Amino acid sequence: MTRQFAFALCALCVCLPSRAASPPNVLVVAQSLDDIISLDPAEGFELSSVQTFTSVYQRLVQPDPENPKVLVPTLAASWTPGPVPRSLVFWLREDAAFASGHKLRPEDVIFSLSRAVKLNRAPVFILNELGWRAENIDRALLKLDAHRVQISWSSNVGPAFALAVLSAPTASIVDETEVSTHEANGDAGNGWLKFHSAGSGPFKIRRYIAHEALVLDANPSSPGHAPLLSTLIIRNVADAATRRLLVEVGDVDIARDLGPDQVAALQGKRELQVLRFPSATVHYLLLNAANADNPALKNPALWEALRWLIDYQGIAGRLLKGEFEVHQAFLADGFPGALNATPYHLDVAKAKSILAGAGLDQGLRIKLSVFNQPPYGDIAQSLQSTFAQAGITLEILPALASEVYSKVRDRSVEAAWLYWVPDYFDANSTASAFALNREDGTRTLAWRAGWRIPQLSRETEAAVAEQDPSARERQYLAIQTAVQQSSPFVIALQARAEVVARAGVHGYAQGLDADMVYYDKVGK
Amino acid sequence: MPVHRLVTGVSSLSLTLAGLLLITFGLSRLSPVDPALQLLGDHASADSYAEMRRTLGLDAPWPVQFGRYAQRLAHGDLGTSLSTGERVSDDLRRVFPATIELATLALSVSTLVGVPLALLAAWRPRGTLDAAVRALTLAGNSVPIYWLGLLALYLFYAHWRLVGGPGRLDDAFEYTIEMRTGSVLLDTWRSGVPGAFADAVSHLILPVLILGAYALGNVTRLSRAALLNESGKEYVMLARAKGATDVRVLLGHILPNAAGIIVTVVALAYANLLEGAVLIETVFARPGLGRYLTTALFAADTPAILGGTLVIGVSFILINGVTDLIVNLLDPRTGA
Repeated sequence: MTRQFAFALCALCVCLPSRAASPPNVLVVAQSLDDIISLDPAEGFELSSVQTFTSVYQRLVQPDPENPKVLVPTLAASWTPGPVPRSLVFWLREDAAFASGHKLRPEDVIFSLSRAVKLNRAPVFILNELGWRAENIDRALLKLDAHRVQISWSSNVGPAFALAVLSAPTASIVDETEVSTHEANGDAGNGWLKFHSAGSGPFKIRRYIAHEALVLDANPSSPGHAPLLSTLIIRNVADAATRRLLVEVGDVDIARDLGPDQVAALQGKRELQVLRFPSATVHYLLLNAANADNPALKNPALWEALRWLIDYQGIAGRLLKGEFEVHQAFLADGFPGALNATPYHLDVAKAKSILAGAGLDQGLRIKLSVFNQPPYGDIAQSLQSTFAQAGITLEILPALASEVYSKVRDRSVEAAWLYWVPDYFDANSTASAFALNREDGTRTLAWRAGWRIPQLSRETEAAVAEQDPSARERQYLAIQTAVQQSSPFVIALQARAEVVARAGVHGYAQGLDADMVYYDKVGK
Repeated sequence: MPVHRLVTGVSSLSLTLAGLLLITFGLSRLSPVDPALQLLGDHASADSYAEMRRTLGLDAPWPVQFGRYAQRLAHGDLGTSLSTGERVSDDLRRVFPATIELATLALSVSTLVGVPLALLAAWRPRGTLDAAVRALTLAGNSVPIYWLGLLALYLFYAHWRLVGGPGRLDDAFEYTIEMRTGSVLLDTWRSGVPGAFADAVSHLILPVLILGAYALGNVTRLSRAALLNESGKEYVMLARAKGATDVRVLLGHILPNAAGIIVTVVALAYANLLEGAVLIETVFARPGLGRYLTTALFAADTPAILGGTLVIGVSFILINGVTDLIVNLLDPRTGA
């Protein structure tokens, strides 16, 4: 006791130098974890949650980290078309086992997918795309023998799309035996899985302390390979400036979600490396054509004029210092079928002429809802400045993200600057948001923009049912072109992810989609 | 009579807390953040959204919702946090001791430095020392605590590497030591792990000093005002006329008479620190009640907001009660 007290006094009086190095064989990552609501793959849909699922769980098939356009068998060894239309038969990997030591069985696959549908939590709409509902899911999943499972679906979609859905984080396979032992009050183990893991991924959850840290231990029995490091600690550091200091000093190995200024300040330091990865996040302006207070918003001439009133290069290059690139179609570059043409640039004279031709040059006012956090304020101010050059007054209404989403969902905004992240690695995830409005109450983005598109909606539904990959890509190119040329969406930017790591860190990989964060090959 | 006073006190306490909860609940319902949307995300289907609202009880009128909450609370159930998924009582048990620890240490710094500074300032009012103390306290109140925290981290942690940085412990200790009490000093001490306690102290130095400096301004200025207010009174003039030295007048006559006000000032500072450490907790990546409440507010996590507010309300009432007791002991006239 006395010795410890003396030690503490030393620390107070002399100020012991900090160690400034993360422990060996342990990777320490600083990021915000405040968004995590649940670590149950049937429930978690937050960015930090789905990124964790990639480390902790595996799916039957997953996008190849090197080339996400290709789905590779993961817990499945192979698959073949099923004996009935709209079905696939999966052979499970014989050597696959969960972190608990339990062998992978068809029952685990059936349990995982059916519990995700029956729990009916945030990500369930992805599985609903296959026509799966609580009342029919049991009929869709069939154990054929000890190594094979048959999966069928009722929606009019092809097997390529079904595989894409099965590669989504919410289709992660959990260990039924383990989860069942923690079931309470018929919750299918949800209460336990919020904080624990029962997967076969390269890591397993040792401890999750909400708003503090997520500690993962290596799972040496993971099918495929064990991770290089024994422990992964993801620390919740809510403040980006603090994350910067931590990585600069060396107390963490990787800092994520830094601002452009912070990355710029660390760029070029010998002991650090700035890693850049493309991201599938696209940023766009939504105009609400259903807003009765501002009828100009449904005028296609305004939609076209605004396409010429955005300083794409200025925002991407100068204002946000390379965190974005100009991209003007809803499928992000890197997705199969992405349209990479960027026909629009800032041209005030052209916009004025279009507005004058449509009689919209008489002091038009638009209210723009934006998130009250960086970089949205900067983007909104740039729009305000360039719109003003054509006589449009843009009134910026900053608000909490959830408030903006709420109003967009209720169609009570005039315009909003938003971003879109695909939910799974298939073009339909995004196309069915921007170019599908069945007007049956499904609140797609097209519905929220009040955009009536019966013909385009039919084309979008046809594209998801198309089985020939080349024909499907052509269909999505045509749909994107239609949205790009005339729609209440002005798609402007595609984000890049920037991660700062210590110089000795190697093997970190990050893919296009939100969940594609790979720690298994990281060494230091 | 004591029974009557006890009953009156408990009734008054219950009414205050019920009013506090009702107002907080009402305000949380006015929040533009939709808890169902917060939980499900923007891409959720209309069916899932409607079901989540039903599950959360948001489809009922808000007086009914409050009634249900009050009923559960009467059974000692604070509910489950929507953002952490844990029972609010467990969350509070984890974060509140960390805040108490930080606030108590910071208050100790501000009191041990602030009251002597106030005495020095009151010793020669409008002198050089007084001007220096006033300038110092003004600076303490004017500099944004967030900025000061980052600057201190940059200089003492990142640049000179003299102290521990953000977080409660280095990673070598953080997830190996069981946090039973929630107080990092107590837990590391009890763990017996060599170096852990010193590491905890090293990580506490900056947040404690900065939070202490933040409270120092008010403690010093208000204590100085109380001392100066007393110094003009007749009994002080009499003491001086009788030949008492300045030091004797200040410490023997003025300080005891101003002690009640100083205790009240310190108590108010303590209550503010308990809920107001959010920026320091954020910059220094430390768990605490302030950060817990702020995160809950942004997530429209009503059970967590109400639970946190209840704890703060009870703390204020307790601190006020203890303060009244101390002031009464120091000056029996106040108990009349």
